[in-house]
Amino acid sequence: MADFGEIIDGTFFLSQEQIETRKYGFSPIKASGVPTVYHAGDVVNLPYASGEVSTMEAIGLAWGAFASGITPS
Amino acid sequence: MASRRGSSFGAARNSKGASFGDFIRSESLTPKGVQPIRTEFSQGSVPDSIYSSNRESAWSRWRRGFEIYCHSAATETYAYPFDYFIPLPPGTVLPPGANPPKIPGSFQGFPTTNKDLGMHWAGVRIAGSLRFDNVRDKDGDPSPILSVTEDQNYWYVQLSGDWSAANPLPAPLFIAPVGPIPKQYPINGEILEDRIITVGGTPINSETIDPSTQRRYGYVQAVLVSTDEVNGILTLQKQGSVESTPDGVLQTPATRPPNVGRFLMTGTRYCCSCQDFTRRDYAYLNGLGKTNQRVFPRTKVSTIKPGRFEVMRLRGKVDNSAMTSANVNRSMEVVAPSPEYGIPPTVTPNSSIVPGTLRDNPGVFRDFGATYKRNNPVPSLEGGKAEGPPSYNDYRTSTDADGNVTITSLTDFWSPLLDELRYCKHIYAMKFAEKVFPPEPSDLPVDTESIARWEQDLVLKTQKENEGASYKLATRGLSFMDVPPYNCQAPMMMPMMQKLFNVPSTFVLMSGFRMYDKNGTEYNPSQGGKPGT
Repeated sequence: MADFGEIIDGTFFLSQEQIETRKYGFSPIKASGVPTVYHAGDVVNLPYASGEVSTMEAIGLAWGAFASGITPS
Repeated sequence: MASRRGSSFGAARNSKGASFGDFIRSESLTPKGVQPIRTEFSQGSVPDSIYSSNRESAWSRWRRGFEIYCHSAATETYAYPFDYFIPLPPGTVLPPGANPPKIPGSFQGFPTTNKDLGMHWAGVRIAGSLRFDNVRDKDGDPSPILSVTEDQNYWYVQLSGDWSAANPLPAPLFIAPVGPIPKQYPINGEILEDRIITVGGTPINSETIDPSTQRRYGYVQAVLVSTDEVNGILTLQKQGSVESTPDGVLQTPATRPPNVGRFLMTGTRYCCSCQDFTRRDYAYLNGLGKTNQRVFPRTKVSTIKPGRFEVMRLRGKVDNSAMTSANVNRSMEVVAPSPEYGIPPTVTPNSSIVPGTLRDNPGVFRDFGATYKRNNPVPSLEGGKAEGPPSYNDYRTSTDADGNVTITSLTDFWSPLLDELRYCKHIYAMKFAEKVFPPEPSDLPVDTESIARWEQDLVLKTQKENEGASYKLATRGLSFMDVPPYNCQAPMMMPMMQKLFNVPSTFVLMSGFRMYDKNGTEYNPSQGGKPGT
């Protein structure tokens, strides 16, 4: 079971070979760190516990509040 | 055959050699008396149908997208992953230690030679952000798919639960009317996928094996077109649907309905700031280049169209800056031509009605005056493709007996059609990166001498252009470009953010962004956070 907010099924993790052969224009890239953390197509896992406000509920609250002319706190 | 200028489909009759026929720069303003009327789509008085067909070809966008994907995988990508913490209305209190409601996503910059600040920004909201195992009926029971019926064009998905007029589907599937604000269905138009097997479970993907059968689960993806809040029925559109088969193959249209017993979730959602996706030409702000002719984009009087436009304000004054401090929030005002086009569901409390409103915001953007949908709305599914020829949407009018003309529909940038809007090449590039190989559109360009030669030219051209654009950014410095999230309330980005997150614009606040740097470390720009070096 993935933890809250964990991005799973990452599809844009470059191989070591890809990272080493990358270039910037005509120059090799010299950079540290992970090129990307997550990217399009990854799936987020958000199992909300009872009593929490899920993303689904929060968007509903936002639209409902807006219809009543209420802005966020 | 006469030689073409460049390697672009549709550019042969465009002496300015733009990639797509109408993406030409604004001409300099020379008010020297009355000029003859010229169309903006060709040099003659009547647009050429073959030229139009090629210019609007989804296939060429798909193919260009693959080239951009390859290039961005080989060179540096400008990726800005984020979590967006959804602001809550006053009075909503999260218990201590509670997981916050958030939308994960990523911005990806595509260096470009013809964009104001050197970069097109595409945004993605990651699949699974909204999960239907969080939808509960009045008894607190979750809502898996109870049953599915169908006709030729739609699946009617009955959600489990006790639904009635007194206990309708909850928000955001349905927002009850409040005063003059009509019923709202904010989720209509989203892609839904039946990928959640159990409450709180990890979504399955194309390769997930069902342990009980030792076969892949498979799933179905389709666009939600309408919601029956009283009976708990969601109508999904067959046209454009995609099925992941037990063989792990994606096919379109889906051959079977969503699976009973599963929970739905939202699919990946894309937006882009480029001219092709927004159907707009935003102001060219760069004063460093050779020309200043793009400074004031506007549409010729002969081709302006009725519609809506938005204005960004900071403390009541118009503010068109590309970036602001992360501590400042601008508000968005949408101006509509008449009350019935006040954007239901309205996205901003600052909407105003100005009769005779046009689609342009002169000086900020000119609007091309139409939208294109990906899915050809043919009633038959015989051989239907998710990525068929795009269909053209524009405004409609009717004339009464007295000759008065009334606008009966508007399909401008504010039409809530996001997941059916035609993808641009940048979104295709992100879909290739997603490794969901997007189906090849069926509208191959015509009147071309050699696809192979065109593709060879495209490879070289893409490499040259992207290297040039990257080089420009590198030599002029990254301060040259606008950067998320500081640009997220720019005139070009705010409508995109509202559509990407699918929340009212008043709920798009700078303080909601948490960004991730190259090491995956979170930082909060609104509190002065910076990426690691």
